Amino acid sequence: MNRVSHLLLIEDDDAIRTGLELALTRQGHRVSVAASGEDGLKLFKEQRPDLIVLDVMLPGIDGFEVCRRIRRTDQLPIILLTARSDDIDVVVGLESGADDYVVKPVQPRVLDARIRAVLRRGERESSDSAAFGDLVIDRNAMTVTKSGAELQLTPTELRLLLELSRRPGQALSRQQLLRLVWEHDYLGDSRLVDACVQRLRAKVEDVPSAPTLIRTVRGVGYRLDAPA
Amino acid sequence: MTNRSTTTAPNGNGHDSGAGHGSGSAHGSGAEPPHGADPGPAHPRAGWVVRRLRLTSLRIRMIAVCAVVALAAAVSSSGIAYWLNRDAVLKRTQDTALADFRNQLDRTVTALPLEPSCQDLQVAANVVATTGLRYDVAMTSPSCTVASLRSHYTAADVPDALRRQVEQPCMHCTTSPGQYHLFWQRVNLDGVPYLIGGTKVLPSGPTAYMFKSLDDEQRDLDSLAWSLGIATLLALVGAALLAQAAAATVLKPVARLAEAARRLGEGNLDTRLDVTGQDELAELSRTFNHTAAALEAQVDELSAREHASRRFVADMSHELRTPLTAMTAVTDILEDEADMLDPMIEPAVRLVVSETRRLTELVENLMEVTRFDAGTAKLVVDEVDIADLITSTIDARAWLDAVELDAPRGLVARLDPRRIDVVLANLIGNALKHGGSPVRVRAREDSDAHGDWLVVEVADGGPGIPEDVLPHVFDRFFKADASRRRSEGSGLGLSIAMENARIHGGTITAANAADGVGAVFTLRLPKNPPTKDGITQ
Repeated sequence: MNRVSHLLLIEDDDAIRTGLELALTRQGHRVSVAASGEDGLKLFKEQRPDLIVLDVMLPGIDGFEVCRRIRRTDQLPIILLTARSDDIDVVVGLESGADDYVVKPVQPRVLDARIRAVLRRGERESSDSAAFGDLVIDRNAMTVTKSGAELQLTPTELRLLLELSRRPGQALSRQQLLRLVWEHDYLGDSRLVDACVQRLRAKVEDVPSAPTLIRTVRGVGYRLDAPA
Repeated sequence: MTNRSTTTAPNGNGHDSGAGHGSGSAHGSGAEPPHGADPGPAHPRAGWVVRRLRLTSLRIRMIAVCAVVALAAAVSSSGIAYWLNRDAVLKRTQDTALADFRNQLDRTVTALPLEPSCQDLQVAANVVATTGLRYDVAMTSPSCTVASLRSHYTAADVPDALRRQVEQPCMHCTTSPGQYHLFWQRVNLDGVPYLIGGTKVLPSGPTAYMFKSLDDEQRDLDSLAWSLGIATLLALVGAALLAQAAAATVLKPVARLAEAARRLGEGNLDTRLDVTGQDELAELSRTFNHTAAALEAQVDELSAREHASRRFVADMSHELRTPLTAMTAVTDILEDEADMLDPMIEPAVRLVVSETRRLTELVENLMEVTRFDAGTAKLVVDEVDIADLITSTIDARAWLDAVELDAPRGLVARLDPRRIDVVLANLIGNALKHGGSPVRVRAREDSDAHGDWLVVEVADGGPGIPEDVLPHVFDRFFKADASRRRSEGSGLGLSIAMENARIHGGTITAANAADGVGAVFTLRLPKNPPTKDGITQ
């Protein structure tokens, strides 16, 4: 991917914002910065960035709320900057629609790798399509339709669905999915998979609480089934 | 004739004191009155039997003492009552009978001729017997011996002692010495108690005897004895019940106290007793409550201080993280540019970069430790192939060439992969640092009474761990060699590894290899850890 990606960094601490802006610019991204959630949402509407790096703890409206408001209209990738890897922030953030998260203090190399991995998820790679009941996945146009209506999927959700649909009826473990979708080079956080599956089910299943397409395989992971 | 009745008989002149005194009532059982219902909490079922058995000796002692006291009181009062009654009844009966006999004799014998014939005697005996108060009469004179009609006994049945007494003039009878007196004796004739009275009517006259059956009186006394016996028995039972009740009122508070003390010992410092009344046990309960309150206050203060200091460390780490995040963000830039910098400045930049990373690691470890201390560390469990996990741990840190891995494929356990990654990285990194390569890592299964275990051994080829250091290797900031302070990491690595194993319900042990070469760290994890914090189904 040679195109310079345009990032929006929303972070309230001046030092961190400046440091990350420097580092990400140096990694070859074009970076816009905002110091609060409100400014961030305004900049987002004006500049339409490719990806948002979002701090969770913000004055005024917090990162979760920013995430939810963006998700109402847009499916662009969002990476959360969170304080701790094992607290409730991660779960809430992923439920708000974030695609990935990094823990402070974050190494710029790690953040850059995550950014590039998330951006790659939107790339098209093959030109066939597949149908599962009334769900049609067009890998050429990178669109998913359900009963003829196009679904708004984030790149991560789309990639997850593509990886599952490539192996219909075969169970994929969370670790496999983390490697395939998130490109985490070693053991990542399985909560990413669980949260993304929940969000995907909410969009593709008739009854999200009783899934017929994306099945949970106890003790293994997830599986995409063609409905009987 | 005499007007006096003295006696030769045993049990003659009983004192006529108040009969019917306290007839068998069980007073003074020695038991305290019950204090009223005990409001104590119900015993937990477990241990109740044990406590009951333990207290049994005291209970039995109280019951025994009460029973003995009640028995003594009942038996002595019943005995006194019986004997007084017996005396009174017998005395009245015999006084009446003897007085009547004397009157009858007076009336009848004075009418006899001076030398009465046998027939005269027979008539006189019959008259006395029929007009008198239901007794038989026997008379003897030098010439003949008669008995009243239907009499079962004759003068031959009179005991010798009585006969001798009657036949002799009474020498020491003070009122009229030398006269004959009416004497009496109680005897058993054919199993029936009889009062036999006898006198010489005149110095020259016949001797007369009366046989008065005491059967009715005996029956009355027997039934009295029975009643007293039953009353004594009832008193005993009552005393035992009272003692049981008294024991309960004493032992229940004691049991509550014991239970409360046990709970306090288990760490429930808010344990208090309900205090009712003013007795010694209430005083003891009050003392217990004061002690528990004082203990609780002290422990609260101590834990508040400890909490404050932990809180300080946690807050401090959080505060440090913000500047560290900013610094970390630019370290990569500095590092990339270092080669192009002035040779005088380059070492300074590299120092800042490396120390920033060290500081970052230290703060991250510190925060991890405070999370374990605060109990907020959580497990995110997943089904993981342990061989894959170890391989990715080694691979991610570029240790593939330095580690010999012996792990079967398909060994799957439920664990938090990122936490176990931290554990393995610490153990292997530690082994590499102190023992040098190659580090041997072996994974296997193990089963014991507590379930299935996953065992990972990390062995190095180094000098091993001194025996005096072994118990401390998991201590925080413990450094085996005080001179080697640099490049040893934060000093929290093994401590964090241990905490991570513990949160899985597992453990890590450190030992020296049996063959004397190197140290062996053994990680033991349950294959199915407690899933209370797991968010994967």
